[in-house]
Amino acid sequence: MADLEIRGLKVEADNTEILRGVDLDLNQGQTIALMGPNGSGKSTLAYAIAGPPAYEVTGGTMTWKGTELNELTPDERARLGVFLAMQYPVEVPGVSLTNFLRTAVNAVREEDVPVREFMQTLRAEMAELDVDGSFLQRSVNEGFSGGEKKRFEILQAALLKPQLAVLDETDSGLDVDALKTVAEGVNRLSGPDLGVLIITHYTRILRYITPDEVHVMFEGRIVASGGPELADELETGGYEGIRAAHAAGV
Amino acid sequence: MTSLTTLTEEALTGASNAADEPTWLRDRRLAAYKRTLDLAWPDSRADEFWRSTPFAQRLDVEREIVVGGGSVSPASFTADLDVEVAMARIVDGALVEVTVPAAMVAQGVLVTDLSTAAAEHVELVEPALGALTSSNTEGTGSGADRTITVNDAAWTAGVFIHVPAEVELDTPIVIQVHAETGGAHLPRVLALLGHHARASVYLEHTSGADTDALVDEVVEVIAHDAAQLDVVSFQQWGSHVDHLALQKVQAHRDSRIRHLSVTVGGRTVRFLPETDLVGPGAETRPLGVYFADEGQWFDLQPYVRHLAPHATSDVLFKGALQGNSRTVFRGNIFVDKDAVGTDTDENNKSLILTEGARADATPFLEIECSDIVAGHGSATGQIDALQLYYLTSRGIPREEALRLIVTGFFREVFGDVDLPGVEDAALTEIDERIAAADLSRFQVNDASLKDHHDE
Repeated sequence: MADLEIRGLKVEADNTEILRGVDLDLNQGQTIALMGPNGSGKSTLAYAIAGPPAYEVTGGTMTWKGTELNELTPDERARLGVFLAMQYPVEVPGVSLTNFLRTAVNAVREEDVPVREFMQTLRAEMAELDVDGSFLQRSVNEGFSGGEKKRFEILQAALLKPQLAVLDETDSGLDVDALKTVAEGVNRLSGPDLGVLIITHYTRILRYITPDEVHVMFEGRIVASGGPELADELETGGYEGIRAAHAAGV
Repeated sequence: MTSLTTLTEEALTGASNAADEPTWLRDRRLAAYKRTLDLAWPDSRADEFWRSTPFAQRLDVEREIVVGGGSVSPASFTADLDVEVAMARIVDGALVEVTVPAAMVAQGVLVTDLSTAAAEHVELVEPALGALTSSNTEGTGSGADRTITVNDAAWTAGVFIHVPAEVELDTPIVIQVHAETGGAHLPRVLALLGHHARASVYLEHTSGADTDALVDEVVEVIAHDAAQLDVVSFQQWGSHVDHLALQKVQAHRDSRIRHLSVTVGGRTVRFLPETDLVGPGAETRPLGVYFADEGQWFDLQPYVRHLAPHATSDVLFKGALQGNSRTVFRGNIFVDKDAVGTDTDENNKSLILTEGARADATPFLEIECSDIVAGHGSATGQIDALQLYYLTSRGIPREEALRLIVTGFFREVFGDVDLPGVEDAALTEIDERIAAADLSRFQVNDASLKDHHDE
């Protein structure tokens, strides 16, 4: 049994079926890329894993190390080691970055990390990700640029040390330098204890993070699976081939 | 003594004589008493400024005036601070204790009994006392109102503060007003800041848990040229205390005023922080945070009059409500025809936490001058589901996430307010209310969540 095992997952939003039976396996230590055109359901899968209040799971199962995720709240999933780097990170006015991170780290570790130790780790990770120290006094994501928000997502992952990290379009909107910084950050986190699911429309992030497997989603199902070479095919051919094959009923 | 409705000339004269007040003060009390006789208690249906609090339904004036003082020693949040504050303690209608640090005394700072000061510092007190209330002005928001004139006539516990010109204080002057005995309490404060003086005055309002009282308070402050003044008013009453507060500041040339109120306690609180900007370049920032719970009614009426050119006002009130509670924000900015170059902004934001709470906001602008910059706005909303989701997706339990969001909502008000202990004390008060609340009843607005997913 895989660490993350998704079988026949169906998800609706506003009475529209978005995921129509998804199967996916992911193990710790593995990096998987999930690709697909806009509207294929990639982000919905990301949210389904992390625990979305506005979606309804209508069928299938999704287990993390044998625990059914569908029955858990987002915070319970996070405490099991699930992390979602969001495509559009949310601004939370008045909640300082330091306070937020410390509260989250204490919640996930289920112990009070001493302030001194926490701040040392935080500053070290910020330096790695090229995040300025002045951010500590700012409110969560408030007034951050697109690139700053994405780096802050990876910073959170570095501190929370998840076992499963879902990166939802983390590359979108980043210039090439920021993309490299973020990709290096992800690579630093990678190891035998971390499973990574990279959700992306374009292949550019995969030049810096090499996936073990690539899956392609279309109209709420995974329609193609392969190795890194599948991403290369999409790089040259785009999604037209998949669209055409699907239209032809292949 | 007597009740608010059965005041007599004899009783007032007797009390004034007993306090050894000078003749001018006794005469002024009697003049205010005569005005009181001409005025009815407010009629909330007829009086525009009282529409936001139903006087007859919520306020009981048939109460004995509490005099004589008490021995209760309420805690002050400033006790935990590493600073030596001046402290004046009013308990049950009497000024029972005054402590002034030697350093302040050496600089000529006065914190003393108002009746005594009326005799000993007549040159300071006589021209100022009542100068800002209905005693000698008409037509302001608080003018010609019996709840004010009755305090003018019969105040029983007064504090006088004088910070001489060019004296800059780094530590606050704290006035505690405590009601332990039920009845009517009539505290009075007069504070004068000389030119280029700097001071902060904290008012802490507390009561016994079961004390059933009406506190009718008048605070007058005159800030002379280029003075810097912070007034901080904490309303921490028990749930059976009604509070009518007029806290009026006169701001002279280039003075800078911040007036912060923290309203969490009380049954009915009608709070009037008013500023008259009478000198060019003066600045005022009426700020407010409030948290209303079951049965509470807060009527908050910041009123700023721009009476001189190039003055600035920036009003920001933020409140959260839960249970069967009601808040009214009725801000008013008046800009005189000669007040060219006025810069004013007025905002109110409310967070409705549970069903049954109601927040009304009317930010008024009354502008008689065209050469100005003015903005105003109000917003009422609920906790944002997307923010809640984001925090919980990082492992933070829902209840803790709600607490972070609500506390964060208030933080904007404190901005650059760097007064020792104030932000912490205010947020602690709010945090205690959230901690006591049934968070499962909090309503969350998921509109943002749907928009987010559509992106």
